[in-house]
Amino acid sequence: MPICEIHNLSKVYGTGPARVEALKHITLTIEKGEFSVFCGPSGSGKTTLLNHIGCLDAPDEGELSLDGVATRKLDSRALSALRADKIGFIFQSFNLIPVLSAQENVELALELANKPGDHAAAARKTLAQVGLAGLENRRPNQLSGGQQQRVAIARALVKEPLIVIADEPTANLDSDNGEQVISIMERLNAELGTTFLISSHDARVIAHARRIVMLRDGEIVKDEQREKTERAS
Amino acid sequence: MSTMRLATRNLQRSPRRTLLTMSAVIAGVGVFILGEGFVSGLTENILVAAIQGTVGHVLARPADYPVQGGQHPVDKLLTITPATRSLLDKESVAWTTRTYFAPTAASGADALRAVAIGYDPARDEAVFPRDQWKIRGAMPGANEDAVAVSHRIARLLALEVGSRLILQVRTHQGAMNALDVAVSGITTTSNPALDSLGIFVPGPLTHKLLATDLPSHISVKLRSRAAAFPFATQLAAALGPQASVVTWQDETEEMIRIQNVRRRALDLVMAILMALAAFGIVNTVLMAAYERVREIGTLRSLGMTERGVLKLFISEGLLIGLVGSLLGAAWGAGLTYYWSVHPIDFSKTMEQTGGSYSASSLVYTRLSLEVVLVTIGLGVLVSALASIYPARVASRMVPADAVRAV
Repeated sequence: MPICEIHNLSKVYGTGPARVEALKHITLTIEKGEFSVFCGPSGSGKTTLLNHIGCLDAPDEGELSLDGVATRKLDSRALSALRADKIGFIFQSFNLIPVLSAQENVELALELANKPGDHAAAARKTLAQVGLAGLENRRPNQLSGGQQQRVAIARALVKEPLIVIADEPTANLDSDNGEQVISIMERLNAELGTTFLISSHDARVIAHARRIVMLRDGEIVKDEQREKTERAS
Repeated sequence: MSTMRLATRNLQRSPRRTLLTMSAVIAGVGVFILGEGFVSGLTENILVAAIQGTVGHVLARPADYPVQGGQHPVDKLLTITPATRSLLDKESVAWTTRTYFAPTAASGADALRAVAIGYDPARDEAVFPRDQWKIRGAMPGANEDAVAVSHRIARLLALEVGSRLILQVRTHQGAMNALDVAVSGITTTSNPALDSLGIFVPGPLTHKLLATDLPSHISVKLRSRAAAFPFATQLAAALGPQASVVTWQDETEEMIRIQNVRRRALDLVMAILMALAAFGIVNTVLMAAYERVREIGTLRSLGMTERGVLKLFISEGLLIGLVGSLLGAAWGAGLTYYWSVHPIDFSKTMEQTGGSYSASSLVYTRLSLEVVLVTIGLGVLVSALASIYPARVASRMVPADAVRAV
């Protein structure tokens, strides 16, 4: 079942000599439960594409629908609501709010999404799922890089989004922490059925992908589904 | 995590910067409350000093009586008819007569020109209370050939209680008269008009000196200040063309006008301090917005709306304003309250400047809850308004760019 359909999407930045065609007529369908990696060299357009899927940026041309909702004509407020409800983000630099504890960072996602229920309990549970039980009250500067990224994963997942978008999630981590982050994401994808769209250069991340979308100069040059045996090899 | 709580945490990131920004609000609000308390207190002191020291609620004096220059002629005095007396008895809480004259007071080789207040010992205190006066010795008895002198005259003529003083004066008819009288008391009234060169002469002695029992002034105490205006008209009609009748408001008009100038100057100071505070807040919140671009992007990616970001940054400015205003109000109101109970004594300054106007040299400030609340509200409002621009800058950042800002 497709949860995101992209048709003929284009995006241009700048004008005149500084004009860059970041995305060129991209057409793509994303199914529920995917664990896809968007790869390609720097400037290939993978982050721009994920920004569009995450409703952080608006296309110049083409259509993008998320869970059946065409996003192009939505105003800023509706896009914010869509992000709050359906999309979780994980960033390369973790992007935690430094004045909030791990628990509060996770709760914030629930509050902004206006999710009902006990936010504190849900945040604690999700932090435990990413192996951070007992560290709930620590602020980001009291956590290691790997722990911070796990808080970011918990923050992205706590509201049970339709899609989690992870932009270079292992780029700022050492190999052990990188591995841990990848396996947590893979496990949660399997357990919860959450769709993960990951942009990465990291071979370890690519190795775990069930779908690899390769971009170059704003175009999809390869879109490949992989079986489990292929990934293991 | 409410917006306010997040805003509070954000302000704690840079406590020194927050405090510095807040200091202008603290200063502005405090200075205004204190200044307003001082000006209001001074205004009230002027009114009270006039009403309780020299004017009463309504004052009648001969038509064309010189009101400035320290002249106190006794050639034209007031005649109180039975109808006038009946009106005064009926409509007033108390009334009294005074005869102001300008004798030469001499003691030994020293002499000076003074202002003498011939008062009615039976009535005067009911209109002009003396509970704030300090009297060394005593006020003279009704039939004594004695006077009370102000501490300034006592000092200039080296008088003590029991000293002798010669008062030389022109009588009502223009003849010269002089009497040797005793000093029964030395007064400090805290009213420069009375303390400058005042001599209190009881009625019978005044009659002897001036060879008349007619007064130059009639002062009336009424139920309220507001009652002065209709009564002044009635009294003027009763006294006829011989008298000019004024109210406490007429007599203090000039001083109140000066007070209003002071108040405007204070408003200007407040406006300058608040403008400085506003610039500080614009600067601080704008700096915070540019320092936290990535966080703004993160909040937007989590679903915070533009309006949410706007609210967050305005809340930060608002909190600076609220806490600053409360701290400013605390010190401003605290000092105002202290001086409203323990007056500031300006008697030395007033004496040095030689002031002879009717105002208490003990200035009580006046604390008004309304002024405190309005000033706090103003501080908060200015801060909130000042943070709108930087908050708009923050809210309009493009999430895709902001989220990756370094």
